[in-house]
Amino acid sequence: MLAFVGRRLLTAAIQLVALALIVFFAIRLLPADPVARLAGQDASRESYLSSQHALGLDRPVMVQFGAYIGVLPGSSGLLEGDFGRSWVTGDPISQEIRRTLPITLELITISFVLAFVISVPLGMICALRPGGIADRMTFGYSLFAGSQPEFWWGLLFIFFFFSVLGWAPPPLGRLNPMVTPPPVVTGFITIDSLLAGDGEALWDGLHHLMLPVATKVFVLSGPIVKMVRQNMTRVMTSDYVLYQQASGISPGRIALTALKNALAPTLTLLGILYGYILGGAVLIETVFSLGGIGQYAVSAVLAFDYPAIQAVVLVIAAISLFVYLALDVAHAMLDPRLQG
Amino acid sequence: MPDNAPILAVRGFSVAFGANRAVNDVSFDINPGEIVGLTGDSGSGKSTLGLGLLGLVRAPGRILGGSIAIEGTDLLRLPEAERRARRGRQIGLIVQNPRGSLSPLHTVGQQIRSVLRAHLTITRPQAKLRSVDLLRQLGLNDPERRAQAYPHEISGGMAQRVLIAMAMGAGPRVLIADEPTSGLDVTIQAQFLDELSKVSRQAGSAVLLLTQDLGIIANYCDRVLVMEDGRLVAEDRTAHFFAAPQDRYSRRLLSLAQLSPPPPPKTAETLLAVHGLSKAFLLRGSGKRLQAVDRVDLAIGRGETLGLVGESGSGKTTVGRCLLRLIEPDSGKVMFEGRDLARTPLATLRQLRRRLQIVFQDPLDALDPRWTVGRIVSEALERPSVGRIAELLQLVGLDPSTASLRARGLSAGAQQRVSIARAIAADPALIVLDEPTSALTPLARVGIVTLLRSLQREFGMSYLFISHDLNTVEQLSHRVAVMYLGQVVEVGTREQVFNAPLHPYSRALLAAHLAPDTTDRRIDRAPGAALAGEIPSPVDLPVGCYLASRCPNVQEPCRTTPQDLQYLPDGRAVRCAPAAAL
Repeated sequence: MLAFVGRRLLTAAIQLVALALIVFFAIRLLPADPVARLAGQDASRESYLSSQHALGLDRPVMVQFGAYIGVLPGSSGLLEGDFGRSWVTGDPISQEIRRTLPITLELITISFVLAFVISVPLGMICALRPGGIADRMTFGYSLFAGSQPEFWWGLLFIFFFFSVLGWAPPPLGRLNPMVTPPPVVTGFITIDSLLAGDGEALWDGLHHLMLPVATKVFVLSGPIVKMVRQNMTRVMTSDYVLYQQASGISPGRIALTALKNALAPTLTLLGILYGYILGGAVLIETVFSLGGIGQYAVSAVLAFDYPAIQAVVLVIAAISLFVYLALDVAHAMLDPRLQG
Repeated sequence: MPDNAPILAVRGFSVAFGANRAVNDVSFDINPGEIVGLTGDSGSGKSTLGLGLLGLVRAPGRILGGSIAIEGTDLLRLPEAERRARRGRQIGLIVQNPRGSLSPLHTVGQQIRSVLRAHLTITRPQAKLRSVDLLRQLGLNDPERRAQAYPHEISGGMAQRVLIAMAMGAGPRVLIADEPTSGLDVTIQAQFLDELSKVSRQAGSAVLLLTQDLGIIANYCDRVLVMEDGRLVAEDRTAHFFAAPQDRYSRRLLSLAQLSPPPPPKTAETLLAVHGLSKAFLLRGSGKRLQAVDRVDLAIGRGETLGLVGESGSGKTTVGRCLLRLIEPDSGKVMFEGRDLARTPLATLRQLRRRLQIVFQDPLDALDPRWTVGRIVSEALERPSVGRIAELLQLVGLDPSTASLRARGLSAGAQQRVSIARAIAADPALIVLDEPTSALTPLARVGIVTLLRSLQREFGMSYLFISHDLNTVEQLSHRVAVMYLGQVVEVGTREQVFNAPLHPYSRALLAAHLAPDTTDRRIDRAPGAALAGEIPSPVDLPVGCYLASRCPNVQEPCRTTPQDLQYLPDGRAVRCAPAAAL
């Protein structure tokens, strides 16, 4: 198992290095002029040149790359864990990512766990009684939920739960402006407010998460239920389930055995889904003005903020790879055939 | 309930899939302590009946009616919870495909324990002890460790024993065993059936043994039931059944056993001579070598059939493929019509291949699904003509109109006939038959064996007949070679090998062979010449004789001296110095 994880970590490291290379050069192939964007279209030649010099774009590409990686004397770069400074705000990018990333991770991780907790029993019930009421209703729901885009559901939820019913707070960020945010430790408001013992911030944070999470769960559950149901149906018609019946084992125990067998392959698909959701987080963040990494990435792209784009791509890739690995390890622990 | 009342009484039992009655109005009894065999061709409804006796049916089937009285209580009249309590407690099931019947993500110990705990009021630690105990009784070495193994970590034979432990663990009085040994090697099959009959005798339970293998029925069963198209068509005592079968199906099945041996070839000319053939495969990842074929010597005469027997993994198939150079041998000579095939350039070899044909085990895999039968057969013809294709199809017993069909629409037996038609189209001198009957139903097997014999009589080609099924080998072969771990350990005439095998491995193999003959039933005698322990890994072979670790008459030099094939005055050859010296 350790060797497996070690091998995978090594592969992930190589993938990240390759990605850093590709992103760095590919971004410079774009027919874009970040200097003009920053200095303004009407800037004088002198101010253009001084901007160019300030960004370091007057140096040869290989020198820029050296500075980015951090092998040039006197500069710190990727190798030291330094993503550089944003061209737009001038702040260190690692600081900006530390601010925005937890918001997104908090949103999608909570949504994922909730969706999983809801979908697994639901998928199981559907598979155990195929064609039953639960199965038909779930089928209708997943068709309905999956046929319309996420941001649209978000807007509808805001309309009903905020405007009409008034249950949810206004979709204007992560916390009510009147509430003092807890001191930043992890960046996750839920965890930080727990650490600080700040009940008010915790409650308000959760309250603000309610709608975005509900939207995510609503859209995510459809495919997960489908996966669980499909795997479970396959397992329920297997020879070993039949044999357990023939051995007089109780239906509950058989369902548990079947569930373990059905979940193992579902895990791999979840990893893929997680990476996909992470990349598409911007829509829901925008609808609820959460200010997560998705929104940060989009603004970086629109501003041609090269260092920020590079950093966001690397960070998201690293998280996806880590989630894949974690789920593969979980899969291998469930399925002994994958070990060794 | 009186003591002599039947323990299982089935009346008017029917199961339907849609409009098709897979089991149709079946009635029979089984008495305590009895082993009853149920035979019939594939698709006759045996497995559906076996499962149905537990009140279970695969979707979308339905139990239509009838009664299944186990110790006097009709299972079908009970509510589902009561039925479930009786499954495993009163009536147990063993199925084919043992590994598929175990959850791959749970240890075998867990699975045995869950059956025990479902039926007996015992604690977790007691169940644990009991399950290890069961495995020990069933002859598994190191049962504690085996109980912690997952199904993919144990052999098919062991998995089958785990199923017995699950089926018998809660002490049912009725045991249904559905093809319990299909997929097992001959020696393991015999061991398994010995254990099964011993366990059931000890427990005084009744066994219904569902099998296509008449050898098993002859050797283990007291009575025989025959099923055809969902109905019971015959019921008889075993000895009487084999002496004078009553129904059409059984007569046809048993007709083979009554065939006289194939007539000897007309000439004594050698057609193919193999010397020192070797082939090793490099295992990916580990870099280890698997010696699949190890210095094999063989000779086949013109018009002769050499049967090549051995258990799975003994290298039979690799030998067959090396002869045609479908696999490149590492070393050795293959002399065929004056030429060494192992050194013939590939272009010439392609010309020669018409003289050397092969028929594979799975007929459907060997036929192009998009081609018509006519096109498949004509591929081997230099000048294809409708007349010649029709003639070839008739030769293999198919209607000439088959030529316009595609392979998928044919039965497995007919597909194998198409394969044979293709093989004989170019008038070959030798056909390598690689397990040609193993994927077929018993009836189709009878047809193919009869066909191969008549083709040889008519055209005088030679066969290398590769099979693990000793019954078919006996019906086809003039001479027999026995392989073990890539080596030929004994060659001799059919009579020599079948009646008086010399090599300890051949002796064990033949002792485990279940002939469809009730004169010397295995259940009535003490099994002899069994081999101890497990077969060594072909990746890590012993220094001396490969059988030394399992041989009943091993001598000290055997462990260190590699054995050579020694030719004896009576024409046979044996790879065992002590046996040759006798």
